Amino acid sequence: MKKILNAPSAYVDEMLAGLCAAYPSSYRLAGDRVLARAGGAVPGKVGIITGGGSGHLPVFLGYVGDGLLDACAVGNVFAGPRVADCVSAIQAANGGAGVLALYGNYGGDRMNFEMALEELESDTLKLTSVRVADDVVSAPADERARRRGVAGMVFAFKIAGARAAAGGSLDEVTAAARKAADACRSIGVALAPCTVPESGLASFEIADTEIEFGMGIHGEPGIWRGPLKPADALTDEMLDLLLPELNLAKGDSISVLVNSLGATPHEELFIVYRRVAEALAQRGVRVVMPLVGRYATSMEMTGMSLTLMPLDAELERLLQAPANCPFWKV
Amino acid sequence: MDAASLKNAFMRWADAMDKAASELNALDAQLGDGDLGITLKKCAANVRATLTVAPDSLPGILRAASQACADASGSSFGTLLAGGLLIAGKWLEAGKALDRVALPELLRHAVQKLSARGGAQLGDKTMLDSLQAIAQAIEEASAHDDLADVARAATASALKEFRSQPNRIGRARMFAQKSIGLDDPGMVAVMRMTQSL
Repeated sequence: MKKILNAPSAYVDEMLAGLCAAYPSSYRLAGDRVLARAGGAVPGKVGIITGGGSGHLPVFLGYVGDGLLDACAVGNVFAGPRVADCVSAIQAANGGAGVLALYGNYGGDRMNFEMALEELESDTLKLTSVRVADDVVSAPADERARRRGVAGMVFAFKIAGARAAAGGSLDEVTAAARKAADACRSIGVALAPCTVPESGLASFEIADTEIEFGMGIHGEPGIWRGPLKPADALTDEMLDLLLPELNLAKGDSISVLVNSLGATPHEELFIVYRRVAEALAQRGVRVVMPLVGRYATSMEMTGMSLTLMPLDAELERLLQAPANCPFWKV
Repeated sequence: MDAASLKNAFMRWADAMDKAASELNALDAQLGDGDLGITLKKCAANVRATLTVAPDSLPGILRAASQACADASGSSFGTLLAGGLLIAGKWLEAGKALDRVALPELLRHAVQKLSARGGAQLGDKTMLDSLQAIAQAIEEASAHDDLADVARAATASALKEFRSQPNRIGRARMFAQKSIGLDDPGMVAVMRMTQSL
């Protein structure tokens, strides 16, 4: 293992301490493993929480901020957050108007959030949840509920956060989150693994000359593995898997996220984005506020993902509404 | 069983989890995130610590052990383990027994509850299949069979029976073809637990 760290078991807690020390006006700890807005819950605003394993910065905790999330339960690297931290996150986000739990569709995360919601739900605290399941390779279209959540989560955070900041009710914020989660489709490719600190093991094995097409963010298997292809061929193949699920027509609007899984540089992301923009222009589809960069990573994994989110007028407006966290400003 | 012997059993369980950690990490690395051993090692450390302060009642010990596992990790196996221990604690609090007649009933009740929580069905090749196998083996055992022996044999034969089948849930389901011929890490963990009895 070649990583800059102290004790592997301290990886998450030391990361959290540094994050809060670097951005004290944005973040505070509201528990051992709970990150919340520095200023606390916003009275009268619907709270939005998320949670999940560490190792994906800026996902999940980084998106706590204005027009985004209110609190995040933080798990060990690639492991779900504890029930007690989910409970604390809900409490830290509760401004009196209800709390939405918005998180990725993973078994452990789902169990822990459901248990926390059952524990806290009452007549005075209304809670809802929406799970993001955008990775098209992780299950077929007719089993969408089994798909895993990847970079599309960033769009869902943005949309739900904007609706809450605009004064939406819990039902309205939940509906906006669900609309964004339903709209997103993602696919990833991987060239080299990352190492989970406490196990010291690579998240998967792959030859130097190979790419795995469709691989998930923790090394979940993709569609094929073989010699690396040119960027345009890979991009076309990704679009061929995403576009059929979206039924885009000429004149439609869409947002695009070309995301690095950690080690892949911006240069390569822009090479991919160039091809995506050309393909969408050819179809007469208008791109709104494309995102290119490190939005949802797997530590030092080499690879990238492509997320498409078709927009209606509401999603377009919410996407472009102001937002601010240390990792992203709109 | 009294409180002292239950605490001793948990101490042996914790030692067994430490010992099995690297085996379970390696098994889990083939189908999951490679952290099952890490998770159980954290659970073991927390359980050991809580035993020194846990109340001297069977349900009190089970509740404390459950909380210790829930505090150790949010990974799905840790959450289900915590859930199972809590189910056992509540079973005793309800005045029910832990003898060879009641034990299969408790195990089937736990399988049902954990299935509802985690979403796995029997036959999906998870630890639920091991618990179910233990319940069935105890029901079929004769009165003079040692229950720990019965449980050990049941988890070993469940592991063997499911080896040739694919995993049908969780991350491992995505490796369905590859998972044929591989032991499910959760089922191996349950077997190591019964071996510590």
